Amino acid sequence: MIDALFNWFDERLGISGSGRKMLNKIFPDHWSFLIGEIALYSFIVLLGTGVFLTLYFVPSSKDVIYEGSYAPLRGQPVSEAFASTLNLSFAVRGGLLMRQMHHWAANIFVGSIVVHMLRIFFTGAFRKPRELNWIVGSTLLILAIFNGFLGYSLPDDLVSGTGIRISFSIVESIPLIGSYAAFFLFGGNFPGNSIIPRFFILHVLILPAVIVGLLGAHLGMLVRQKHTQFPGRGNTPRNVVGAPLWPTFAAKTTGFMCLTVAVTGVLSALFQINPVWLYGPYVPYKVSYAVQPDWYMGWLDGALRIMPSWEIVGFGHMIPNVFFPAILLPGITFGVLQAWPFIEARITHDHAEHQILDRPRDRPKRTAFGAAVFSFYFVLFGASATDVLANYLSISLNVVLTSFRFLAIAVPLIVFPVTYRICKEMQRVPTAGKRKRANVVLRSTEGGYTTVRAEERPGDAIPRVDPLPLDEEIEFVPVMAGVLVAGDGSGEEPEPGSPAESQTSRPRGGIFRIPRVYR
Amino acid sequence: MSFALLVSASFVGVFLLGAGRGDVSAGGVSSGVNAASLTSQDDPTAASQLAAGRTLFVQNCSSCHGIDASGSDRAPPLLGVGGATVDLWLSSGWMPLAEPTAEPERKPAKFDRAEVLDIVRYVTSLAPSFGNPGVPFGLDISRADVAEGFSLFALNCAPCHTITGAGDALAGGIQAPPLHGVTKTMVWEAVRTGPGNMPRFGPGTLSPAQVTDIVGYVVKNIQHPVSPGGLSLGGVGPVAEGFVGLFVGVGACLLAALWVGDRTETEEDDEQEDRDGHDDGPGGNDKRELAHA
Amino acid sequence: MPDEPEAPAGSSGQDDPARRVRIPVTSIRADAPQFQIAAKNPRRAELVASSGFLLAAAGFAGFGAAYWQNYSNFWLALTFSVGFAGLGYGMVVWGRYLMPRGPFSESRHSLVPTTAQREAFVQDFASRGKVAVERRGFLVKTLGFASGILGVVLAFPLLRSLGPLPGKTLRQTAWRRGSYLVDITGRKIKTGDLEVGGFITVFPETDIGGAYSQTMLIRVDPPPASGYLTPPPQFAKQRKTWAPQGYIAFSKVCTHAGCPVGLYEELTKQMLCPCHQSLFDVTDAAIPIFGPAPRPLPQLPLYIDDEGYFRAQDGYDEPVGPGYWERGND
Repeated sequence: MIDALFNWFDERLGISGSGRKMLNKIFPDHWSFLIGEIALYSFIVLLGTGVFLTLYFVPSSKDVIYEGSYAPLRGQPVSEAFASTLNLSFAVRGGLLMRQMHHWAANIFVGSIVVHMLRIFFTGAFRKPRELNWIVGSTLLILAIFNGFLGYSLPDDLVSGTGIRISFSIVESIPLIGSYAAFFLFGGNFPGNSIIPRFFILHVLILPAVIVGLLGAHLGMLVRQKHTQFPGRGNTPRNVVGAPLWPTFAAKTTGFMCLTVAVTGVLSALFQINPVWLYGPYVPYKVSYAVQPDWYMGWLDGALRIMPSWEIVGFGHMIPNVFFPAILLPGITFGVLQAWPFIEARITHDHAEHQILDRPRDRPKRTAFGAAVFSFYFVLFGASATDVLANYLSISLNVVLTSFRFLAIAVPLIVFPVTYRICKEMQRVPTAGKRKRANVVLRSTEGGYTTVRAEERPGDAIPRVDPLPLDEEIEFVPVMAGVLVAGDGSGEEPEPGSPAESQTSRPRGGIFRIPRVYR
Repeated sequence: MSFALLVSASFVGVFLLGAGRGDVSAGGVSSGVNAASLTSQDDPTAASQLAAGRTLFVQNCSSCHGIDASGSDRAPPLLGVGGATVDLWLSSGWMPLAEPTAEPERKPAKFDRAEVLDIVRYVTSLAPSFGNPGVPFGLDISRADVAEGFSLFALNCAPCHTITGAGDALAGGIQAPPLHGVTKTMVWEAVRTGPGNMPRFGPGTLSPAQVTDIVGYVVKNIQHPVSPGGLSLGGVGPVAEGFVGLFVGVGACLLAALWVGDRTETEEDDEQEDRDGHDDGPGGNDKRELAHA
Repeated sequence: MPDEPEAPAGSSGQDDPARRVRIPVTSIRADAPQFQIAAKNPRRAELVASSGFLLAAAGFAGFGAAYWQNYSNFWLALTFSVGFAGLGYGMVVWGRYLMPRGPFSESRHSLVPTTAQREAFVQDFASRGKVAVERRGFLVKTLGFASGILGVVLAFPLLRSLGPLPGKTLRQTAWRRGSYLVDITGRKIKTGDLEVGGFITVFPETDIGGAYSQTMLIRVDPPPASGYLTPPPQFAKQRKTWAPQGYIAFSKVCTHAGCPVGLYEELTKQMLCPCHQSLFDVTDAAIPIFGPAPRPLPQLPLYIDDEGYFRAQDGYDEPVGPGYWERGND
């Protein structure tokens, strides 16, 4: 029956022709190539749980009296958005699970994009011909961060609402157009009634559409240009070595998707995230302490905190304080990020095509630079939690803040030479970083010591072999030549010249016919 | 030391406030019960109860606060501060200090409830309380409106104590303590007396019903939060969630990736390559690739 | 039904009917080492993978039961996760140990086009295109003109309809001369309502709950001898009467990024903004002494009327909240 179905589509779409290329597509085996898939699969979780949430969430700032089951809010005026979020959390069966999975998946999504981006950076996969894919990827990072911000702001709770107030001030701070941009975005002065519905449509329609489109371009370029690969046995710039899509990679990647979903589920079971009922609705004159944005915005919050109180005033105009950490810093960050392939090509004068990856230790300058820049943003992340750290470590808040200002400059300056040294040292030791077999020390009854190699791990005991090239061109041989022929399982060779021997476009025996050569 | 001075200043302020107050505050009176009514309630044994309090006071408090509670250069006077203040500082463990120069910190109370009340009776018997509140006996939060309490808490208390009552660090080494592990009496007393850097919310700012609502919310919902989603991670929100999402979430996925995928070559592969005569280790077999190493 | 075998197989075009039949064949043999599965004990590996799937079945069934019986989020999530974990485990074991272990390779052909391909492309593009635009400058220019106007006017609905112009909205709050200071319930505040060291959030009676008019009224000290709190030297003249009887009022909207500055430290007499920890000295015209805030909080001039109620002498003398381009030196 499946045969018939396959034939039906095959005759109309020509699947056998082009589909064979897809079946044979090779995916490198190294684990670091799966990091992008963590992002992809957590995005799938986001889409699935997100659809569920849109069926219940009401994107409206209109005030209603909450009459649900959560007692401390009963009878209180809250926005419909907030009330519908509480409804999801308490009244809809499985609603809290969907909310939590959605939010945890968002955290994992952005986190894995960052890790994936670091892998691409440190192995030099962004070099020609993949600069465009790097640009698409960094745009995806920006969109993911922004969509996450929009998403956690939708419930209109006290904590995220404070973030929206800050974002109004940030937009306002743009020179020349700031107040106009802020009023256009919010439909008037803060808070207005438009921002929640507008955030909603951006979050569920506009940005996901752009993300899906860019993701398609990202994967499409990947298919067209094929993967890079690490140097290894049988790897050359003229091939790609690994597992074919069918069946090995399909199984592994489906399994990995299930594992990613399972991780999200475990987090949703064990750890509560964004309990908006404890925060209460957003009210412009109320605020909580220990308000941080979600982690992927933390670097911006940290920058806002440690920025000295400078402001430029002159000629009747002002460039406000928040412009520098909240507009200029991200602008430079993402600008340099997007342009990095070209910056590096200019610095190294290397405009050649690269299909083999670098090991990070083999490019000490790039690795050290990347590590130093990453450590700078890591310090900014930490600076977002100044008050929580001061409380947790029982240190004065003033000391913590001043320390972070110092660390933001000092840490990258230390990380660079240290990383450089480590790379150089690793280059000198050929087995550095390789998994080694242990030497087991045995002591005899007389007291003497001997060493013995430990047993091989099951996974390591598989001997490596050279890769087997999958045929690309279909090789045809005439039946008369007596070459072993793909048969139909009956064991009989067709009579030469007989009508039964004529090939039709319909393969005898269907798609599950296993050729004799494979039996 | 400077803290002690600041505290002294606040107490002096309280002193003068009491002296200046003439008008009755709006919204009713429940300002706690003070020494006079305490001792008169327990009339037969009044003198012996004061004696018990006096003994405790002399042994534990007089070395800094003076034998007659009039203060010293180390500690503010306690005359007229009101029973609520004395009760709060003793119940929370801020007093007595661990050592004379230490900052007050929350620790298990040194005295049990009866002893604390003895000391309260004694101290409040030394001078009139100028309208400063006493211990709120009979504080009933069973009919507290927790919804009102939540709203008031969010406006007045959350900016320092956080909306989940987790506490946080203010500037200059000051801390707004977490609201867990405190009794309803302590919450009431803190709101009304504004200990340390905490502002004072008197009857003109928050009516007795409003304070009852806030106390009810703190005891019922801050201390027993509804957490159907799992562990609350300290109630500090995105900071802790970020940690868990990255290190547990992404970390677990990376561990899964390490299992699903292959590692780079191991020592075995080098040995096998030596046997096979290949040399495909790092560096590949296209030397042009690493011309820029 | 096709009458010739040419379509799939590609005939050599020769007349001999036997030779016209060509059949695809592969050079890969089933006994190639890359085709073998990795498991040393395939049966055991199969059992392991199957046990994963059975666990997944139990998990999903458990999820169904948990949903049906309305169990807590914990059980819903746990059964869900166990299901997917089992499924994932089984699939990965199958893929790693019970499938052709490879490695396989495919060729990477350069995507760089040959000179011939490039030339052909350019030729097709340019040759026909040339016919279209050569000597048609006027045509091209008028198209550009129309497109330009379209580009400009698209901004009108896409941008301008989004919201009103800011105008003077940011420069003024709802506070006016004579506004009462009321709390969130609308109750007018009068002297004696606050303790020394207490504060309350107040609004003008015309804008209760207003995001920009929110103000912190603080009782800093007992009534000073002069009747007013002393302003710092640079404001000695203009703010002399702004803080009567030890009460002072500042805008609650932080001048850094707009958060409500709801923290008041009674002993240090400082206001702390919870968002980015800007610290304002209440005794010194709320000048920021720590943190990123660049400007002091605007002060609301107060007076106490005959009935003892607090009222504003006037609105704020500068825009409240964070800065923006047009704010200049207001």
